Amino acid sequence: MSAMGVVTAGSRQHRRRQIIGWALFALVVVLIPFLIADTYSPTIFGNRYTVGLGNLSQAIGMMVAILGLNIATGYSGQLSLGHSFFVGSGAYLTAVLVNEFHWSYLSTLGVVVPGLFLFGVLFGLPALRIQGLYLGLLTFAVAAVFPSIIRLDEVKDRTGGSNGLQIESDLVAPSWAPLNTVTEWLHAIPGVGSRVPDGLTSRQEEAVYKYFLLVIVALVCFWLVRNILAGRVGRALVAIRDNPLGAAANGVNLAAYKTLSFGISAAVGGVAGTMLAMHSGFVGPDEFGFAMAILLIVGLIVGGAGTLHGAVVGGLAIRFVPEWSSQTQTLPGTDTALEGPYGTAILGALLIIIIFALPGGAAQGFRRIKARLMPVAPQPPRG
Amino acid sequence: MVVLASVLGVFDISLDKLSNGELWLAQFFRGLSDGATYASVALALVMIYKSTGFINFAQGSLALLGVYLAYIFSVEQGLPVALAVVCAMVASSAVAMFVERVFIRPFPPDHVLPLVIVTLGLLLIIDSAVGIVWGFRTRSLPSMFPSGAPIEWGIAQLTWRTIGNLGTVFAVVGLLYLLLSRTKVGLAFRAVSSNLESARLVGIRVGPTLGFGWALAAAIGTLGGALVVPDLLLEPSIMLRVLIFSLAAAALGGLDSMVGAVIGGLVVGLARNLLVTFLDLSELALATAVAVILVVLLVRPTGLFGSTRVERV
Repeated sequence: MSAMGVVTAGSRQHRRRQIIGWALFALVVVLIPFLIADTYSPTIFGNRYTVGLGNLSQAIGMMVAILGLNIATGYSGQLSLGHSFFVGSGAYLTAVLVNEFHWSYLSTLGVVVPGLFLFGVLFGLPALRIQGLYLGLLTFAVAAVFPSIIRLDEVKDRTGGSNGLQIESDLVAPSWAPLNTVTEWLHAIPGVGSRVPDGLTSRQEEAVYKYFLLVIVALVCFWLVRNILAGRVGRALVAIRDNPLGAAANGVNLAAYKTLSFGISAAVGGVAGTMLAMHSGFVGPDEFGFAMAILLIVGLIVGGAGTLHGAVVGGLAIRFVPEWSSQTQTLPGTDTALEGPYGTAILGALLIIIIFALPGGAAQGFRRIKARLMPVAPQPPRG
Repeated sequence: MVVLASVLGVFDISLDKLSNGELWLAQFFRGLSDGATYASVALALVMIYKSTGFINFAQGSLALLGVYLAYIFSVEQGLPVALAVVCAMVASSAVAMFVERVFIRPFPPDHVLPLVIVTLGLLLIIDSAVGIVWGFRTRSLPSMFPSGAPIEWGIAQLTWRTIGNLGTVFAVVGLLYLLLSRTKVGLAFRAVSSNLESARLVGIRVGPTLGFGWALAAAIGTLGGALVVPDLLLEPSIMLRVLIFSLAAAALGGLDSMVGAVIGGLVVGLARNLLVTFLDLSELALATAVAVILVVLLVRPTGLFGSTRVERV
């Protein structure tokens, strides 16, 4: 039984449906910041949950971080437990460039992307020889080392050591951005409008502006990565993951593509670091330790390794699951408050449940639901 | 000579320090003591890797649980420390068998990556469960060995604790060797590690044998934890740090070699203490360990004593 008729892939109806889908997605992305500029807080079973715009922006940074990890681990199958190292390096690079050279946040990407790409390639060279779980162990240890490198006496003056580094630049919405006008228009719409504030305070305006900036950077990243993975490089990486020997026999240069995958993965991770620095205006050494490395793996698996929209779900999950769990003051029927470590425990449980029940992650779940509701038949052969 | 002097200058090494024999010896003993503790957790990791082909990232967490139980038995219930540790080893073995049965055995054993991820999930769950139950207050667990040092040269002390740690590790290796080579269950375990499919065909019950391996590994890990914790303080994140050094030790020695685990543990312990003291790298204790494994793995990708996996295609 299906809700709509079966359409053929590539047919006009199918394309129309795709366009409608993307338009709805775009509408949601554009409307959300205005709807939750005054923190949206639904109450479920007597617990108040918050969906803040700031957290959403941070989740967007996490999505890009998972996207980067996805390239090395999800697509080309090299277990990397040290992706937080790249994210942290990107964040600190941005922070230092903004603080000491007074660059703007976005222009630091001009250094972060090539710098981290080179760094990733260097990192990928030993990975050619060290494989499988040995590589996983090494990267895990590297992730654990990052905070102590930041705390080194030699670089303490620049990185702020254990105290972290406050970035001395605010992201203020430029005067041409019509954020307030849009808010007023939305407020005037009957029905929906009551959810939108009358006008934005300067703090809200900054948050909304940051959100849009991060969304644009994230969209560019996803688009670029999609294009890289849809072509020759992507096919080569998947071939390396699925059967390295077969890939080599078919002319894939294993060494070149593996290092390339680490390079791209690190560059995207660096962008994620820049985004996280933009979001919070602060970088601290312990944010980017192995706790984050594990968290990114959790996001990757929960969202779905080897898929692009899995990264979106994963980013949301690792940001909001711990948050909501700590906001659960009373579980229905009991008086247990799920504060502190419960959030991590829930993430761990989620990870195991996903591996059990839905090995392809949330992306696989969506695909199944979609196939049930809106089946698409493959294009019949011509002739 | 000038070059040497400038190198020493860069690393801030003073020749006084280098020629101080007592300091060398003191750090050597500390290295052995630390190394012994890493070696025992590394042994647990190797047990699991040998039999199942994956790394149990939750090994440190099972040890953490065990050490907390040892704390409960000894400090709160008043048992002698050694007896409390033995009870905790038994209890954590039981937990490990349960974990293996419920979370590991349902998965096909030849697919390694999902299993590794499951153990990461277990790490998150067990560590936060310990935090939920016992809180984040630091506690101190007394050592199993008497304090004081029977042998002293100036500042270099060979303490009872160092002797005890080393002795425990070698005793564990000896007992493991006897268990694996002289008993029926050991034979079954070796058969399963060498070839799971053939072991099943000759009638070995693979599941319970692997469960036994998990129990044994958890007991060894708990013992290792009980050796470490008296030096540090007991709190829920303590074993993560130990786990990283032990992973380094296991990778260094070769993931499927028990002798390698012990030697790897001692090397990491010594490298950590000696390099950190003489190169003045107190923040870089972990980084030196990582550098050591990186170099070793580049030369020998399966560690010092690990066997290369040969695959038929």
